[in-house]
Amino acid sequence: MKNSKDSLVPILTPVCIILTAMLLASGLILAIGVNPLTAYGQMLKGALGSLNNLINSLNKAVPICFAAFAVAVSTWAGIFNIGVEGQLVFGAFGSAIAGAYLEGLPPTLHVTLSLLAGMLFGMLFALLPTVLYVARDLNLLVVFILMNSIAKLLITFFIVGPFAVPGQMYAATKEIQKSARLPYLVTNPNKLTAGILIVIVVGLLLWFYVGKTTSGYRLRACGENAEAARYAGIRVKRYQAGALLAGGALAGLAGGIEVLGTYHRLFDGFSPGYGFDGIPIAMLASGNPFGIMVGSFLFGALRVGSTTMQSKAGVSSEIVTFIQGVLVTLIAAQYIIQFTIKKLAEHKPEKGGAKQ
Amino acid sequence: MSQSMFITVFVSIIRLSVPIILTALGNMYCLQAGIMNLGADGMMISGAFGAAVTAYFTGNPWLGVCVGIICGMLIGAIHSLISVEFGGMQNISGLGLNMMAAGLTSFFCRSTFKTGLSPNVASVQNMPWLAGIPLLGPILTQFSPILLILIIVFAISCYIMGRSVAGLRIVAVGSDPQTVETAGINVWKLKHICVITCGALAGLAGAYLSVGQLNFFMENMTMGKGMLAVIAVTVGRRRPVRTVIVALFFGIFDALQLQIQIIGTSGIAPELIQAIPYLAAILAMTFDFGKKLDDVNMNPYLKNQYKF
Repeated sequence: MKNSKDSLVPILTPVCIILTAMLLASGLILAIGVNPLTAYGQMLKGALGSLNNLINSLNKAVPICFAAFAVAVSTWAGIFNIGVEGQLVFGAFGSAIAGAYLEGLPPTLHVTLSLLAGMLFGMLFALLPTVLYVARDLNLLVVFILMNSIAKLLITFFIVGPFAVPGQMYAATKEIQKSARLPYLVTNPNKLTAGILIVIVVGLLLWFYVGKTTSGYRLRACGENAEAARYAGIRVKRYQAGALLAGGALAGLAGGIEVLGTYHRLFDGFSPGYGFDGIPIAMLASGNPFGIMVGSFLFGALRVGSTTMQSKAGVSSEIVTFIQGVLVTLIAAQYIIQFTIKKLAEHKPEKGGAKQ
Repeated sequence: MSQSMFITVFVSIIRLSVPIILTALGNMYCLQAGIMNLGADGMMISGAFGAAVTAYFTGNPWLGVCVGIICGMLIGAIHSLISVEFGGMQNISGLGLNMMAAGLTSFFCRSTFKTGLSPNVASVQNMPWLAGIPLLGPILTQFSPILLILIIVFAISCYIMGRSVAGLRIVAVGSDPQTVETAGINVWKLKHICVITCGALAGLAGAYLSVGQLNFFMENMTMGKGMLAVIAVTVGRRRPVRTVIVALFFGIFDALQLQIQIIGTSGIAPELIQAIPYLAAILAMTFDFGKKLDDVNMNPYLKNQYKF
């Protein structure tokens, strides 16, 4: 009996967190004099109402999902990775350059090379923090924040300076070659990029790696208890460095797919914070790749639906940022939520769902 | 560089450094007490919004500054509730509060003013009553009176951290809470005070942005200044004077790139100038071979009643 309650906690916690965030957002929507149910209805319609909108949401979910994978990989190793945003933008830059300036390649090869370039750039951008962490034991959070700022500035510099295309309305890199475009799975009623296939493949690989291999087990051991892992003969720093670099590659892939599949060029501010979206998803799914896919789809739908909500219900789409913020804040308070759920479950066995 | 240009740049450095220094001083208390406050940006932006809205509706900028401080303290209180009282994950809480405050302020800004930019509000951008001072008068008048508050805060911070019992206690709580509790000091109360003080100072910095340096509120107007403040404290080894020097260093490059953008000549890209302080911060941390800092214990110190 008690065991079944315990196994409920990992599912109940995210549900409670999401419900609380929605409830708080309803409060805000009420405060500006709009019926929250109308607003949420419009959001749902905009995100999932038709096949067209559903494809939009799926496309939006792809980069978010890779960002969440990148965060999750380092979370397994016990590192909180907030540098995904910078690595993602840099990866997008790598893919945009490879896609635009490599010429005369067959499409399959060109797409693969461009994606690899994105992964390489993302990984390169994760290299400095990794080296600093391994060799000098610096505070990774601070280094990642610095690297994110540097990435943003450098990309602006590249787009406005050396790689600018003259005579355009807004600053952007050269459009990628036709051969570098990611193929579409469906083109009617809307374009669904092949990125979604890559997500599923990578998700399965990650699931297999972390759940079924010795190396994945060791990686998680580093995250659970680094000290114990060290005594068990696991080279903790090596695994952590690997996780950071792999996270960089995944983040780069996210940016690359977004450039090759959706925009076909890199422009300033092209990421609306995908890297930061990945953090709450990876945390809510507690690192489970399938949970991450579901969560990313929800976040993609949230982003797509919010634009409909803004135009139809007159609720500013900034509410999404608020909901995400509340989610992350509540995730930080996870401990006390789990504590409360357990306490309530002990006292009143018939009441399962507990508010914070 | 002519003399007038020199003065312009100097004034601009000080004006741009004020919010970073204020937030950094607040963060210093936080970090010394063992709480990482990545939510500084959220505290600043809510302070900025509170100040601008109050100044807009009442016409009194000083009331705005007070409301700004209170808004910052509220965000600080949430952070301290999660990371001190409930033993939550402080880094994640800070990031979440950043997003939440950014969303909240943009949302209300857009619903109140219909755009992401508020109309002009009453502000306290300069100190005309100092014009009488010979020689320095014309320069001093260009600063907001909040600069005076900053100087007072700095002096108090130097005193507290340098030569008071309270400062010693803050350091002790940060490095070894268990021992401090044994000595009969209320660990949680002290940590709460530090985090909420940080919120107040960051809120003041935000109020400075919206009614001290400018006279309007704009979405995301902090532009990562809170993060700069966190870095200033880390690079400044959590000591007030060093922290302020690092924050000033950030201000110098901010002013420099602004001047380059204004002049618009010389083939230097402003983005590269802006990137210099970040690179310098990484270098400074990498080659920090000085005396090793006392470790700060960043793990949550949980109350017995919440253990299971």
